[in-house]
Amino acid sequence: MRNPIVGLLIVLLFMLVLIPLPGAPASAATIPHGTVDLVAENQWIAPGSQTYFGLNFHLEKGWHIYWVNPGDSGQPPRIQWHLPAGLSEGEIEWPAPRRLGTSTIVDFGYDDAVMLLVPVRASSTLPTNQVAQIAADLRVLVCREICVPGKANISLALPTKSMPPEVDARSSELIAAARKFLPRQAPRDWEFKVTDQNDSFVLTAKLGRRTTRAVFFPLEEAQVDNSAPQRVVPVAGGFQLTLRKSDQLLKRITRLRGVLELSANQTYAVDVAVGDTQVAK
Amino acid sequence: MKRFITISMLFVLVVLAAPHFILAAKVGQPAPDFTGTASNNQTYHLADFRGKFVVLEWHNNGCPYTQKHYMSGNMQKLQKQWTAQGVVWFTIISSAQGKQGYVDADGENKYMAKMGAAPTAALLDPTGAIGHSYDAKTTPQMIVINPQGVIIYDGAIDNRPTDDVKDIAGATNYLNVALGQALAGKPVETAATRPYGCSVKYKGSWF
Repeated sequence: MRNPIVGLLIVLLFMLVLIPLPGAPASAATIPHGTVDLVAENQWIAPGSQTYFGLNFHLEKGWHIYWVNPGDSGQPPRIQWHLPAGLSEGEIEWPAPRRLGTSTIVDFGYDDAVMLLVPVRASSTLPTNQVAQIAADLRVLVCREICVPGKANISLALPTKSMPPEVDARSSELIAAARKFLPRQAPRDWEFKVTDQNDSFVLTAKLGRRTTRAVFFPLEEAQVDNSAPQRVVPVAGGFQLTLRKSDQLLKRITRLRGVLELSANQTYAVDVAVGDTQVAK
Repeated sequence: MKRFITISMLFVLVVLAAPHFILAAKVGQPAPDFTGTASNNQTYHLADFRGKFVVLEWHNNGCPYTQKHYMSGNMQKLQKQWTAQGVVWFTIISSAQGKQGYVDADGENKYMAKMGAAPTAALLDPTGAIGHSYDAKTTPQMIVINPQGVIIYDGAIDNRPTDDVKDIAGATNYLNVALGQALAGKPVETAATRPYGCSVKYKGSWF
């Protein structure tokens, strides 16, 4: 090495490459521009119990992955589980997404870090005193300005025991933190109504307080125009939100399902029957 | 009086038609006209193709979803199959200069030769003017225009929204179904779907 400064710079560059992303455990699998690892809330699995697993994603700055409805472009992560006999996975529980993008193309997803939660049920006949290999093949699309598809195999070995499961301190904390980002059930005294008005759906919410901020994330694709501005009109005891219909929606829909965000950590699952068409004046 | 009625009717027509010019392209509505410069240096004017079915295919050679349909030869097969039946096929590249998928004429000609692509022409749309007028969201996105100049299909190429080549076999190809029905004089049953893929890399877009 003729120039010691150049040598030092090269060493520094190598060190930068080797520094793992913050928060990512050493066992994490690599995906394009990020890592993913599998965590379990309990230390072991007992017959007849349910254990939550978390797919813990960490992404480089600026990169994102997608919600179950990715919006105008992109694709949600897909998981193929490989579970021993006696274990069966449930549906992915998706944290509330963010709107990604501006102008004419708007996607729904997550940047920085996100954990997808999946419950796994053990049958009452699950053999005990064994080691269960919990494995999943993951396919994920990671995007910033461009998109890079990636694959990863993640796995975890958990003992099976007959005694009631005890929580894993670190993982259960991560999973509890992730649960805070799941959309909650709306309080019983809240009322929602959706009407079909020409080129829009109008969502009227009665929450017991005048509300100035609301964002709706449609669960189904091709119902709501993702990039159209969502107009919130505060009313006494709630708000009215106008959602422009998607150009791809050629049929009447009977229900509008999605996530309603009132503030960053206040998101609610919404599933409302779409009422009769009212002719807008 | 007759003249007054004519003028009034014209006025009503213009007022009724106005939203169609404001809104982006939509199934059942007239396809926005455009003049595009192709990689073969020819200029194509959509209105000149009245009387023919026209396919618009949004393209970005760096997008994994576009690559799925080109590496497998699926898109080229569709281009050959339908242009052989008199359909006009425009591949449209709306990537802005400096963004993924942007090519100049020479670059696109080389790409098409290498891939065996066989559209009628590949239109270079780096300003995004054509893309925005159709509100094209993804690559690939497919639009079919009938001989009367009306959009009869807008959406995905097929019903498997993945980047995996293995998903092509067995997929329902919406473009084939739409063109098949339309050429047989039948209405297109599935006229709009959610297009899938990468976002179109327009000028000013950041993802």
